[in-house]
Amino acid sequence: MNIFLKKAQESCCGADTELKFEVHVPIFGYYKCFKISFLVFFILSLIVLNLEVSAQNKDETLSVQGYVVDASTQQPLVGVRIEDIQKKTLSVTDVKGFYSLKVKKGTRGFFRFIGYEVLSYQFNDASANLVISMIPSTTEIDEVVVTALGIERQEKTLGYSTTTVKGEDLTDALSNNWTDALSGKVAGLNLVRSNAGPTGSNSIILRGEKDLQGDNEALIVVDGVIINGGSGRATASGSNNYAGADETPVDYGTGLNDINPEDIESVTVLKGPGAAALYGYRGANGAIMITTKSGRPNQKGIGITVNSNTSIEAVNRWPDIQYEYGQGLDGADYYSFGNTVDGTSTRSTSSAWGPKFEGQYFFQYDPVTHTQAKERTPWVPYEGNTRAFFDVGKTFTNTVTLDGGSERTRARFSATNVTNSWIIPNTGYDRNTVALSLNSKPTSKIEVIAKVNYTNKKSDNLPSSGYNNQTIMYWNIFWQPNASLDWLKEYWIPGQENRKASYPYSSQPDNPYLIAYEMLNKGNRHGMTGNVSAKYLFTPDLSVTVRTAMDFSYDHRSQQRPYDTERFKKGMYRTQNIFSQELNSDFMIQYKREISPDFKMSASLGGSSQRNNYIKDELRADSLLYPGVFTLANSAGVLNPLPYRASRAINSFYGLVTAGYRDYLFADFSARQDWSSVLASPTSDANVAIPIYSSLNLSAVISEMFVMPKNINYLKWRGSVAKVGSGSSTPYRTSLTYTPNPLYPGGALSNPTVLPNEGLLPLSTISYETGIDIQFFRNRLGLDVTYYDGKTYDQILETTVDWASGMGKAVVNAGMVQNKGVEIALNGTPIKVNKGLTWSINATFSANKNTVVELTDSLSQLMLQNGPGSRGGVMATIGGSMGDLYGRGYVRSPDGQVVYENGYPLISNDLMYIGNTTPRWKASLMNQFKYKQFAMNFLFDAQFGAVAYSLTQAVMTEQGKTKNTLPGRYNGLIGKGVMLAPDGSYIPNTVIAEDIWTYHNAHSGRDNIEGSTYSTDFIKFREAKIDYTLTAAQAKRLGLQRAKIGVYGRNLLIFSDWPAFDPEFGALSGTEILKGYEIAQFPSTRTFGINLTVGF
Amino acid sequence: MKALLVVFIGVSVSCKKGFKELNTNPNTSEHVLPQNLLAPALVETVSANMRRSQNLTNELMQVTVNMGDTDGKIFRYDIRKNVADYLWNSWYRQLTNFKDIYTFAEEINSSDENTKGYMGISLVCQSWVYSMLTDTYGDVPYFNSNKAKEGIMMPAFDKQKDIYLDIFDKLEQANQLLKEGTNILATSDPVYGGNVANWRKFSNSLYLRLLLRVSAKGEVAEFAMAKIKEIVDEKPGEYPIINSNAESAILRWTGVAPYNSPFATWKPADWYNPKTASFFVDRLVDWGDPRLAKWVTLSEGEYAGVESGYAEGTAPRARSYMPTALQSEPLLGNIMNFAEVQFILAEAASREWITAMIPSFYYQSGITNAIALWGFTASPEYLNNGEFVWDDDYSLEQKLEMIHQQKYYALFFTDVQSWLEYRRTGHPVLPKGAGLKNNKVMPARLNYPIYVQATNGDNYAKAVAAQGPDEIYTQVWWQKP
Repeated sequence: MNIFLKKAQESCCGADTELKFEVHVPIFGYYKCFKISFLVFFILSLIVLNLEVSAQNKDETLSVQGYVVDASTQQPLVGVRIEDIQKKTLSVTDVKGFYSLKVKKGTRGFFRFIGYEVLSYQFNDASANLVISMIPSTTEIDEVVVTALGIERQEKTLGYSTTTVKGEDLTDALSNNWTDALSGKVAGLNLVRSNAGPTGSNSIILRGEKDLQGDNEALIVVDGVIINGGSGRATASGSNNYAGADETPVDYGTGLNDINPEDIESVTVLKGPGAAALYGYRGANGAIMITTKSGRPNQKGIGITVNSNTSIEAVNRWPDIQYEYGQGLDGADYYSFGNTVDGTSTRSTSSAWGPKFEGQYFFQYDPVTHTQAKERTPWVPYEGNTRAFFDVGKTFTNTVTLDGGSERTRARFSATNVTNSWIIPNTGYDRNTVALSLNSKPTSKIEVIAKVNYTNKKSDNLPSSGYNNQTIMYWNIFWQPNASLDWLKEYWIPGQENRKASYPYSSQPDNPYLIAYEMLNKGNRHGMTGNVSAKYLFTPDLSVTVRTAMDFSYDHRSQQRPYDTERFKKGMYRTQNIFSQELNSDFMIQYKREISPDFKMSASLGGSSQRNNYIKDELRADSLLYPGVFTLANSAGVLNPLPYRASRAINSFYGLVTAGYRDYLFADFSARQDWSSVLASPTSDANVAIPIYSSLNLSAVISEMFVMPKNINYLKWRGSVAKVGSGSSTPYRTSLTYTPNPLYPGGALSNPTVLPNEGLLPLSTISYETGIDIQFFRNRLGLDVTYYDGKTYDQILETTVDWASGMGKAVVNAGMVQNKGVEIALNGTPIKVNKGLTWSINATFSANKNTVVELTDSLSQLMLQNGPGSRGGVMATIGGSMGDLYGRGYVRSPDGQVVYENGYPLISNDLMYIGNTTPRWKASLMNQFKYKQFAMNFLFDAQFGAVAYSLTQAVMTEQGKTKNTLPGRYNGLIGKGVMLAPDGSYIPNTVIAEDIWTYHNAHSGRDNIEGSTYSTDFIKFREAKIDYTLTAAQAKRLGLQRAKIGVYGRNLLIFSDWPAFDPEFGALSGTEILKGYEIAQFPSTRTFGINLTVGF
Repeated sequence: MKALLVVFIGVSVSCKKGFKELNTNPNTSEHVLPQNLLAPALVETVSANMRRSQNLTNELMQVTVNMGDTDGKIFRYDIRKNVADYLWNSWYRQLTNFKDIYTFAEEINSSDENTKGYMGISLVCQSWVYSMLTDTYGDVPYFNSNKAKEGIMMPAFDKQKDIYLDIFDKLEQANQLLKEGTNILATSDPVYGGNVANWRKFSNSLYLRLLLRVSAKGEVAEFAMAKIKEIVDEKPGEYPIINSNAESAILRWTGVAPYNSPFATWKPADWYNPKTASFFVDRLVDWGDPRLAKWVTLSEGEYAGVESGYAEGTAPRARSYMPTALQSEPLLGNIMNFAEVQFILAEAASREWITAMIPSFYYQSGITNAIALWGFTASPEYLNNGEFVWDDDYSLEQKLEMIHQQKYYALFFTDVQSWLEYRRTGHPVLPKGAGLKNNKVMPARLNYPIYVQATNGDNYAKAVAAQGPDEIYTQVWWQKP
């Protein structure tokens, strides 16, 4: 690419503006679009030429000589090009940095050198020694960006927005899931976190959710290989996260979490379909392109780098728990563990509406005998008795990297060990990763790259998430203020180990220590991803690349429950063996050509074939013969087998043509056709060809075309239009087949509940985006603004139908969702002192508006997600948005006041709109300071404009556990609002609510969705880090090449009104991470870490 | 460049090769036989019936009280609209399977293979499920229902009268098919182990249940009475009916998967949330009924129910509940038992529609067999309890109360039957608490599921226009005077 640019710059741009060529790509039938794009070029270039002609009118010729030096080092710069405004080269500096030129007086010269900011100078006087100091650029405008299909392009040529995060920004403040580090660094990126334990998954959503029922996650591409369907597949077990399910979800994490951040060179986020159109299949959701590190040619033999990271995490936020009143129902004035002379037993309730702690004595639980105490004991609270259950989590990450190579071959090897123990006792994981990367150029024409990555992640216990007797957070809600955590530590009744659990109160929850130490969820996953690619250069301009990538994993999991747990009285043991494999083979032919000195173009044509296989075999023994033995052989009944297999394939064919006019107008056009097997039916493959889709992207570097005001150094406009189709990744929705139930003797089958669609068609997304990138004040201030508008239509929906038809749902193509929004990235360098302090600021802002434009013909609303116990739900309605929360709320008078009856608020029977659960906007602010060898980094981020339902708070309110339930105990309260007068008018409420538990329950209990919904607005102090890097001299003294030590913190502060733990959450349900409903979330944690990197 | 073209052409040609096979689901079956469909459909239907029996019928009929002051408490006749969805969805879902049995059996039926048994059973099950549907909701989709596979996604609602008449036709056909049919595969039939003769008896017993249900409706009363007489008095040989506890239609839960009671996996805490109601408990206590210990737990040394229908804020103290042993009780899988048939006959005889036996015979047989079903013997003292002694001079209302008090217990956990019988007869007479909603009138139906308004709106609107407001107080055809 650089060769082209050079030639272009040297050529004069006089009269050879005749653009007479056409590009025929008959296979795509799209050359019309091509013509149009070049017509745009043509017109724009004419305008530019006219401007340039008018700029030349001075007479006097000056002779100027001098040197160009680096502003900071004062070293001469070799090869600096001095151009006039027409890009005519006036001179190039020699090895001493010397230049000499002759120009007309008043000519503006531009000093250009890669890695430095362009410097403009007006030659008004002759000079024999004009020294020009060039400033190294901090914002790399000419940065090379890895775009779709791994094609490297200069940032300025792109017609769409991308953001690149460097590897070190991911590793310097390490979190359990490295994708956390993308938070606040990429405008338009939304992470939805499962928060479900140490291997909690994140789903990454770019520019809003588009697909009502399908996948909304961005494509994850590692070294050119899409991993969503393979190792990136979500792998939780269990089902429903709300009471009643036999197992709540356990998050086993995804292959994305397992990528060793130490191996990541950079992450490029392609936010829109324009950028990702070449990926076709699911490119509509944008793409996260992860490039892993390769070996560097090393000066002296093999470079060894050791990186060690130690972090500790602890709970950072806690609901407001009350310790003034103890266990009891309905304001009971005594307590009795079992029936005693004081009265009947009050031990069974989960509520804390009981007697106040006033130093009185009651018959309570005796932890020694595990039963009623013989003597009365003091009635006292045990403050912090739930929080004390949680440990300090510890993670040790150690990596050794070897890299080096010759001019022809480079290699990199890394080995990483991660050992984690999480905040819940006896949970955590170990992970070992080995990565090898080889780049070789055996001849000047061949380049071979091979990358292999093996990961083993093993856990002896991962926590169950959700609201269920098997989860810690359920117990956390149910535990009593008058009970000591210590009473639970002996979790078997002595002498009845493995048979009889000890839990003193309500039989709803299980003993948390029993959960942590006996109700285990194990996993052992071996994952291997690798790819080999070879590139052959026929000529410097024509090359062919072939690549094959394999992504497969074998995962063995088990879940075990001992005897006497509330859900499995006779124990349980279940195993899953999961084999997942995705094979991608592709080829690409790249050709570039200089049509004329001003026009360069390149074409890439390629094809790929993707095969995906998934096999999951589950065996269940839902009761056990002998207690404490967890094997399938110990099953007390028939083993329940649940086999599942899925395969799919996509074949594709695609092309990309890029064209550049001079150094400032660029266009590219891509087209792709996919053939997707999920659109085939057993009898027909008529629909498998997804209509060709394409993208057109334009970019104009206006600052190179026109003379800019002095303070504008760079101005680029970009625009993009793209249409992308997708066949979805769910197979087998095109034919009606019967579902087996292997438990029945003689073979049993049932009708499906979803009517398939033999004529299933792909869904489509069309998207427009435009933006500018502008740099001011010698690149000290930069602004990047993008506006986008996209529609996804013909969605593949399972629409609800009247069950009277015999089916509950039908697969249809319908529905349209629109997302439009703005992304702004701002960077500035307020202070920059040579060899002194540098202060730079990076800020992002993004806002997205999601609108459901159409649903299916028969539906005006579509339930996207049911609330716990079907309490409301997230519902799409026409004109609404995908995150809209509906549920029962307050009955209000015409003027909006809460209506009371008998002192208690009235709750509507119908569902009403409560709020939206997707943040309206997100923003971040990062401050970086560099002073000598110190670097400091502080990142804040925020989200606003969303709400969510908190089950934790609702149930704790019902049970009188939180401080919001204190007012009115036990004299009653008069609620603020109105009541209906006998004449039908509303008058202020004057009735005292005496049953204060009923009052608080009506306001903030589970059934009042409005009352249990809180704002999730937050400002978080997300990251802080301080690094010290040894100078080369200091390092050498220690016998090292380099060394860096840093300390960091994550999630240090949360400013939010959210009542439970963390306003930023998702709730795992099956393998999906749902938003909007907090379902007994785990506490969020504050992490402190220390990071040491040493290079030998 | 030639190589390029070759590759292009290669890819284009093979771009969809093998896709048809690839998207053929290996987890499910394209092929199905009648015997594959029956057992799961029966299990699912009975399970759904039991779940709603537990939280709807038991609450309305004062078997249990799911105590609390929040709204939507069914024991106060306060039924949330979304309660309606479950039975509608479950029943129609299984009708697709039951109807397929007929279709596939009919395809196979030939001189070599007699599948009339499956065809007959299909018709019996359809009649059973459709009758529960129409009795619960009123007018419902019938003639065009369950035809999604044929493209009918929005079936029209049919009049309850037309549905009943067609069900009677189906039961006539079933009687004939089951007469001619040979026994079916034992493993496919968890109710009768493949015994088609017993299915025939159930079919005709069900016929009696449904004839009795519409027998007060003028338009069809004559027919119903005549048909009952024909079945019982005139052609008992042509219409065999359930004649012993062993012939009762009960899906007996064995505790071996898949035949686990739907309650077996419930947490005990959830099971004993509803407390037993005093109406249910007190009679059993008064009578010294041996079934009491199986059905009710002791509370502080006594069997104590709570008053149903109490006003908000006046909660009585929670007492007895149902023992957790019932969670896996085989007999809760009741579809139609011998005692119910005897009580049907007792009523028909009391109304003097049949004369084969005197009313007291059926009545006593009902009591004895209802108790015997649960493994007890009705002692002479029990039967001679003054309350039970039949007197032909009692008024019809007195007789009906006696019959239905007993029938109420015989229908323990039998879908929504005791509620239907109460709606039809007003018996057994239930006490009415101060907290009752719906004008203190027993709900006459469930509303249609709300989502039907969106998914089948035009037909829904027509049905509502014909039947009356879509509320729980709107009476269905046979209940309207």
